[in-house]
Amino acid sequence: MTPAPALAALGLMDAAFSGFRAYAGRDARIRKHRAIARAALRGLAAGAVLLLAPAITAGGVLLIADDRARAYASLADGGIGYLVPLVVYAAVVLLSLAAYFVLPFRASTLAVVVGLGPLTLLRPLALGIACLGALVHDGGWTSLLVGAVAGVAVLCVEPLVHRRWYAEVLRPPSG
Amino acid sequence: MVSRLLECGDQRAARIVAALPTDGDGVLDPLAVDRLMISVHTELQRLREELRIDDRLVHVLGPLFAAIRATAGHGGPFRLVDIGSGLGYLVRRLAATRALGPDVELVGVDLDAALVGEAGRLARAEGLACGFVHGNAFDLPEAATVYVSTGVLHHFRGPALADFFRAQAASSALAFCHFDIAATRLAPIGAWVFHRARMRHPLGRHDGVASALRAHSDHTLLSAAEVPGIRPLLYEPRGMANPFCTTLRPVLGIRPHLEEPLRRALGRASRRLVGPEQLAGTAR
Repeated sequence: MTPAPALAALGLMDAAFSGFRAYAGRDARIRKHRAIARAALRGLAAGAVLLLAPAITAGGVLLIADDRARAYASLADGGIGYLVPLVVYAAVVLLSLAAYFVLPFRASTLAVVVGLGPLTLLRPLALGIACLGALVHDGGWTSLLVGAVAGVAVLCVEPLVHRRWYAEVLRPPSG
Repeated sequence: MVSRLLECGDQRAARIVAALPTDGDGVLDPLAVDRLMISVHTELQRLREELRIDDRLVHVLGPLFAAIRATAGHGGPFRLVDIGSGLGYLVRRLAATRALGPDVELVGVDLDAALVGEAGRLARAEGLACGFVHGNAFDLPEAATVYVSTGVLHHFRGPALADFFRAQAASSALAFCHFDIAATRLAPIGAWVFHRARMRHPLGRHDGVASALRAHSDHTLLSAAEVPGIRPLLYEPRGMANPFCTTLRPVLGIRPHLEEPLRRALGRASRRLVGPEQLAGTAR
């Protein structure tokens, strides 16, 4: 079974959160649900484009491979090795988010302090571990290459969305 | 300013200030400074939203205003004044949610004109019933019923802290409730993580950690708030709260007749409210 759909779904979900982070801290209004949703959609759109990079890389690897079936199997194995650490990371993030939204304010602070805040900083580390996972799970150097390209792509979503739409310091309260 | 920061040993702050735009004489560009202050405070508001500071405040202020209503002998209006309101997040949020009731007028006061102007603009844009004043909170034409602040106390050092509480005790206000960073060993680390993860400008990142390092201990706050005519209380002191759950906690000063009704209004949560005489038993 190919891990590509699961990896794409994770990547797009991360892109939506990246869009939110690119916007957060740039709008001091109180009521801003629509602006938050728009930022998440912008992240999603940017992520969809950037995630073409690992897809094209994987396609290129298959095109130049002597034995495409073997290369595909290797990429699939590496993809699973890449996916597992990211699923664990995503599960912790989603658990923290659920705790943040559901629990009373004291417990939600706990979810933020030990979960959401540090986890944001740990995103590059999670992607590094995922790359390692791709390498050691019989993925070889080709899987590592595709994983590294994917990692760079998802890390670029937030700065790209921020620069494109939210770099202006003072924003008029519109939308 | 750069040389003063260097004299204080804060090289990072000196580097940040040195990078700001100046005119030919080396004077900071006031417009750039205003824009930077608004930008950093907007990022700071994001942190306050995430840590649900408004919920934390309402959790204490709701019962406090209930106690005031129970003892006032009149139906209001009452006036809440936020000292050092910055972009007015708390006042605007309270206005948007009406969490304290329609009989509480909401006013934010700050010494920074740019922040006050932006707070007013934001409130008008969203049609929020609250006001913002540029100046000294103790010089307002109409008296406050309750003074509040968040993240202001650590700016006061030495005798200035007690002077700050004394000024409120000397006013006709019935109470004050000032939230500030809980001084724990984790606070500077937590501040670094969050300001690194959530704030973009080096000024905000540096100031967050510097503020956590300057946070007053429970004992210091209660001692300073012990001024004539005021019963000093601390909510969720260090020994009674999980430091991961209580990033900010308030020191309160109330007129003595309000203590009993406040404890009644707090219900079970009143066990978290301690005076100087109880602090020794909870500090460890």
